[in-house]
Amino acid sequence: MIKETDIIELSKYSIKGGIHPQEFKLLSNRSPIKELPLSKKLILPFQSDNELVGAKKIILGDSVQYGQELLATRPSSLVPRSLSPCNAEVSEFGFSQFGHLSTIPEPSITLLSKDDDRPTVFTPITDWKNTKPEVLLERVKQAGIVGLGGAVFPTAIKLMKHKKTFSDSPIETLIINAMECEPYITCDDCLTKEYADEILQGALMTAHITGASNILFGFEDNKVEAITILADSIKNLVQEYEDLSTPLVSIKITVTPTKYPSGGEKQLIELLTGKQVPQKQYPASIGLVVQNIATIFSIYQAVYLGTPLTHRLVTITGDCVEQPANYWIAFGTPINHIITSLSIDKTNLKKITLGGPMMGPQTTDFNIPTSAAVNCIIFNRESKVIAQSNDVAFQSHQPCIRCSECETACPASLLPQQLYWFSQSEQWLEAERYSLFDCIECGACSFVCPSEIPLVEYYRFAKLQIKQANIKQQKSDIAKLRFENRERRFARIKLERDEKRKKTAAARKQAAEDKKSDPEGKKSAIEAALARVKKKEDNANP
Amino acid sequence: MSSSILSQSKRSTSQVMRLVSLALIPGIIAEIYFVGWGVLINLVLCSVYAISAEALVLKLRKRPIKATISDNSAMLTGLLIALALPPVIPWWMSLVGVWFAIIIAKQLYGGLGFNPFNPAMVGYVLLLISFPVEMTAWLPNREIATQLPSFIDSLQLIFTGSAGGLNLQDYRILADGYTMATPLDESKTAFSQGLMSSEIIQDAHFSTNIHGWMMINLSFMLGGIFLLAKRLIHWQIPVTMLFSIYFISSFLNLIDDQLFLPGWVHLVSGASMLGAFFIATDPVTASTTRKGRIIYGALVGFFVIIIRSFGGYPDAIAFSVLLLNIAVPTIDHYTKPKVYGSTNQGLDKNER
Repeated sequence: MIKETDIIELSKYSIKGGIHPQEFKLLSNRSPIKELPLSKKLILPFQSDNELVGAKKIILGDSVQYGQELLATRPSSLVPRSLSPCNAEVSEFGFSQFGHLSTIPEPSITLLSKDDDRPTVFTPITDWKNTKPEVLLERVKQAGIVGLGGAVFPTAIKLMKHKKTFSDSPIETLIINAMECEPYITCDDCLTKEYADEILQGALMTAHITGASNILFGFEDNKVEAITILADSIKNLVQEYEDLSTPLVSIKITVTPTKYPSGGEKQLIELLTGKQVPQKQYPASIGLVVQNIATIFSIYQAVYLGTPLTHRLVTITGDCVEQPANYWIAFGTPINHIITSLSIDKTNLKKITLGGPMMGPQTTDFNIPTSAAVNCIIFNRESKVIAQSNDVAFQSHQPCIRCSECETACPASLLPQQLYWFSQSEQWLEAERYSLFDCIECGACSFVCPSEIPLVEYYRFAKLQIKQANIKQQKSDIAKLRFENRERRFARIKLERDEKRKKTAAARKQAAEDKKSDPEGKKSAIEAALARVKKKEDNANP
Repeated sequence: MSSSILSQSKRSTSQVMRLVSLALIPGIIAEIYFVGWGVLINLVLCSVYAISAEALVLKLRKRPIKATISDNSAMLTGLLIALALPPVIPWWMSLVGVWFAIIIAKQLYGGLGFNPFNPAMVGYVLLLISFPVEMTAWLPNREIATQLPSFIDSLQLIFTGSAGGLNLQDYRILADGYTMATPLDESKTAFSQGLMSSEIIQDAHFSTNIHGWMMINLSFMLGGIFLLAKRLIHWQIPVTMLFSIYFISSFLNLIDDQLFLPGWVHLVSGASMLGAFFIATDPVTASTTRKGRIIYGALVGFFVIIIRSFGGYPDAIAFSVLLLNIAVPTIDHYTKPKVYGSTNQGLDKNER
């Protein structure tokens, strides 16, 4: 059991709903972190957000260095930078599967690795405390750091956005997400156990960048060892700063009961602070920024060691794996390589899960490479996971009996049974009214459903349909606006032309009439003379 | 590619239905004991009718028959109708009721999960309106009856209308020449004859009769508590419905204790407990939000007492449930829970 100290506190708040799936974490969190030998072949995404900027820098057969940028992206790009994880040769440009739910192949680059030499890529910033936050932020961007909790959102933008866009509500607290609430995954747990001091440094750097004066680590109470190690590190750090009498931001660990999905960003915020992020807003609007603990570690690596983000810790687990553990794996390593180098038993292996068993996609394609998003790969015999058909039109499940188990499990306080009803009957407007877009797709509803309905699949489908309809609507709105403006412009031109024509016609008519009544202009000459006389008289007798 | 959800050992829909059917057992035993073997015969007949009707429609709709039948929902509907029927109702009447329930009220709407009205209650109400005499011809319970028909007699009564020279009416007559019905039926008749509530309750027949019905109701409540303990039903509907029944009838009784039965009589007579734990809780046709279930249960209870006290029928569970089934979409619409982040509690006052 975890005891409260001046560093560790137990969460005073709770979240709605949630479930308690079997954890399977002991499989992999008792072995030390290992390094997977480099794969001969690496498949990396080759997609830029902007075709003009992302012009090819390299061609087939080129040699690339470790940490070299493969494809330029815009500075504000939401697409992560693509960096080479080793010294390699470019062998192919093509399209590959990257383990996303949409099975559309994406542009890819295939590298043939030469060696695994990893010299320092960026100049280490050892005196980061006296370095401007902007410089550190630039380093975070350079190193291609993205959120390693699964969303792979570029970290620099997340940290920057808070500083600039929300300047009126400054960041007070940096929340570090070490909840790891999905079953099987232990990479953050093991990372904390082995690199607690480095993580703390990374946290201080991130607080320095954001200007946060509090650092709050969020842990589930099933990670006793990691919590103890990190608490000791914090204690030493505080002592160290006290000895040097340097000011230090407040650092605390908050421990929450184990429950899925406590690690969701919004859920974590509520558990740690008791506050809810208002709908359609970001945590920054209530003065918070949340970063995954692995992201914090890679910030440390990028700043202090000058290392780019090209590898990540991946939990390799499941009952087909002889020695489940966490491995450092280069981005782009195909699953096949993992299977051969760890001699995973393929005979019983039917499907593998990328990421956690609650939200991660399932695949049978062993050519899929790892990426920043893949924190776990589960090699299981078939029975452990319900295969959820992607094709929602095919209703192979039992009907919904509105038992409301899903409502009880929903952490966002939605009515999943109603959302399902509206999604399957394609009543998009009603689905939106029932807050479809507040669904975080955690899968708690599908987990408890007695009819085994793939509810999240229905919601994803509905969201996609609504988004597409909105895009279509926007386009047609723009077209309508353009058409109306054009009509208005034409009408105005016509009106102006008519006006002008009328005026000239009237002037011509007037001139003609004047000429008729006063053929030689005598009348006007007399009038003018009279006026002159009158003016003179006025001047003489003021 | 598909997303994955960790599977768990959880109850499937068919297990839920089976457990609900099992929870009926105490009530079934009590009803058989007090009302006679006819109840058991009806239970068997109605389940067979229900399953056959479901299979027939599924065949016509070209849907998987075995997989659907095994969700046990049709059987449960049959059981619930059987428990609501008088014990020796002619076999073809229960057939009409059950087939109507399954074919019209359930399958024509699309089957399990798509029916807006509780199928069992639709079937029951159809019979009640079409055959009011037969549907209210309950036998006097064991403690008061001159003779309860034996198992064979019940079979004969159900299939031929008479057993050993006696017909249903003969069995209903007590030793002193009274014809007995259920306590609610009896009080309804008594009130119409100008009798007072206190006179009715003190009547020897009534008090013996209500004892049997109280035991039946308490047995159903026992099953209901099992459902609650197993978390197969939510507490809101039964609790608010029973509270509502008790308080509204007590309120009426308080206004005029000679014209209205006291609350406890309403709680333990008729189908109060069966209705509160097994019928109104049907998740498909009840309100699905937490607040909605409270409103739903309370209103079902309210209408039960209103119809029992002022309406033409002795009992009113079926009518009230069907009335509230109509109101469910509206109730659900106005009782949506507050979605995460919608209360703005994260903001300070000046930011709001």
